[in-house]
Amino acid sequence: MFTPSHLRELWGYRNLIGKLAWSDFKLRYKNSVLGFFWTLLEPLLMLLVLYVVFSHLMRIQVEYYQLFLLLGIVLWNFLARGTTMSIFGIIGKPSLVQKVYFPRDILIISACVTALMMTLLELLVFAVFMVIFKVVPSAAILYSPLIFLLLFVMVLGLSLGLSALNVYFRDVQFIWNVVLQAGFFATPILYPITIFPDNLQRVVMLNPMARIISMLRDCTLYRRAPLPEDMGYVILSAVFILLVGYLIFDRLEPKFAEEI
Amino acid sequence: MKVENLWKTFKIPHEKRTTLFETMTGFFRPSEYETFTVLKEINFAVEDGECVGIIGDNGSGKSTLLKVIANILRPTRGRVDIQGRVTPFLELGVGFQPDLSARENIGVYATIMGLSNGEIRNKIDDIIDFADLRKFEDAKLKNLSSGMQVRLAFSTAIQTDPDILLVDEVLAVGDIEFQQKCFDVFNRYKEEGVTTVFVSHDMASVRRFCDKTLLLRHGEQVVFGDTNRVIDEYIYKSEETSVEEERVEERETRWGNRKIEIIEVKFFDKNGKENNNFISGDPMTVRIFYHSHERIESPIFGIVFYCQDTYCYGTTTDFRGCNTGSIYGRGYVDFMVDRLPFLGEKFEVTVAISDSDYKTQYDWHDRLYSFNVHNPTRELGIFSIYCRWRVWKDG
Repeated sequence: MFTPSHLRELWGYRNLIGKLAWSDFKLRYKNSVLGFFWTLLEPLLMLLVLYVVFSHLMRIQVEYYQLFLLLGIVLWNFLARGTTMSIFGIIGKPSLVQKVYFPRDILIISACVTALMMTLLELLVFAVFMVIFKVVPSAAILYSPLIFLLLFVMVLGLSLGLSALNVYFRDVQFIWNVVLQAGFFATPILYPITIFPDNLQRVVMLNPMARIISMLRDCTLYRRAPLPEDMGYVILSAVFILLVGYLIFDRLEPKFAEEI
Repeated sequence: MKVENLWKTFKIPHEKRTTLFETMTGFFRPSEYETFTVLKEINFAVEDGECVGIIGDNGSGKSTLLKVIANILRPTRGRVDIQGRVTPFLELGVGFQPDLSARENIGVYATIMGLSNGEIRNKIDDIIDFADLRKFEDAKLKNLSSGMQVRLAFSTAIQTDPDILLVDEVLAVGDIEFQQKCFDVFNRYKEEGVTTVFVSHDMASVRRFCDKTLLLRHGEQVVFGDTNRVIDEYIYKSEETSVEEERVEERETRWGNRKIEIIEVKFFDKNGKENNNFISGDPMTVRIFYHSHERIESPIFGIVFYCQDTYCYGTTTDFRGCNTGSIYGRGYVDFMVDRLPFLGEKFEVTVAISDSDYKTQYDWHDRLYSFNVHNPTRELGIFSIYCRWRVWKDG
């Protein structure tokens, strides 16, 4: 698992991770006329719809609501995309599992990296929007890469566990889809957490994704540094999820080639 | 490389549970499955730079063993000790993406096969030239013919620089020219001191490349050692004969008045053991058992060999100056070959008995018997002419 020798082995395969991630990334847009623009267009269209619905019909009053919404969608998309792509990372590539050997977690890591590439493009759009809306960030924005890294760790952990389980139980992919749908509304993406009463807020904040999104909004849009308790909670849960995910993956990995 | 006391069993469930729902509803009902032992107690060691062949019938566990060595499957018991980088050639073009260009696919495939970015940059033009695809390097892979794809995969795969090479017989497909290319590459690897494990059905190539050979039968290690000895063991000691019985033809296969009947025809190998598999150049005996219902003077026994539909050779006791004398009751006649001239692969045999001037057929068995011949040489054709070459040079 996290033995130094395994990490060294993974490091030796860094080229492979890059190549697999990059070729997947290219494949996604290969046959579409607009190519890479789809990664940008997709969240923007979604933003447009949600913005119209929520700011006019439901009258949510938040400063920079467009950006608030865009960042929430982009971050949630990263979680959804990373895990969904990873779930098919093992069963979708039988020949790479059955005909050749490299550490199988590479397939999952590279799927997460592909999702990361797509999300980075979207974050670029977010940055452009920040300029357009004349948001002046404070030094707190320096926290954002770290928080984003924690999100990546969490997504990787989820992906490892889910992809391994999906080899044995093919309905994991459907269950996870439902969880993601519910999570989208249960996480403060469309609305600020403050619409809930205090005790319910605490329940919602058990979801590390809620904390990650709100911390990133705070430090990019609202010039607020993350609270140590939020940060601590997210660090602990990200590490915990990665550990559990890896344990599941490590346990199930030896029989992948037989079960696919 | 060392394989110690290796076992591999597969569980084959009667009813496979692939969903959580099925697993939960079936939780209290134990799932029934068959255990199927594919490999039993395999032990062998390969020295650095050696080439080892693995042979055996279909289903004897050869490919499974290769996959266990490649770490694709994990042993149920026992272990595989490997020092160095292993490159499995189990299938060409693993991970090819039809929607990417030939050039991009080379990049991905070469990385999977363990080449570094620098090596790929240096070699990519060689690879494209070797595969003869310069014109198509930017075409999408799906637009290339399957032959081109194989060439592309092959020329990429051979750029790897492994310590241990695992080759499955799938590589043996392809035309003669492609096979020759494969052989050249393996020879090059061998000269470079790459340890190779080679699974094949083709005895000739095993004989050509492998210093040692492992014979598997039903997952058990029968013998491991010198290639020629092991192949002998395989061909002459097969438990069951692998000549398929094809008796479904409509054509008439037997006629004659049966005053003398042919009861049975058996083939015997150089060890005097009944067998249907022979190595070209070895002795063979065909034994014809007869039962004569009345006393008959000097009947003639004949034999004809066919390869597919080609009439290869026919002779009789009469042509060879053997007088059978007066025959009554049971007995047998041996047709003895000192050096079997046939090269390959399947031969059919007609055996017949007629009266002394070929006017009456007593019993004619038309192509009812067959045997296989394994060609240990690289010579081509149906049969070998025992011959020599000599070169004369003027001056």
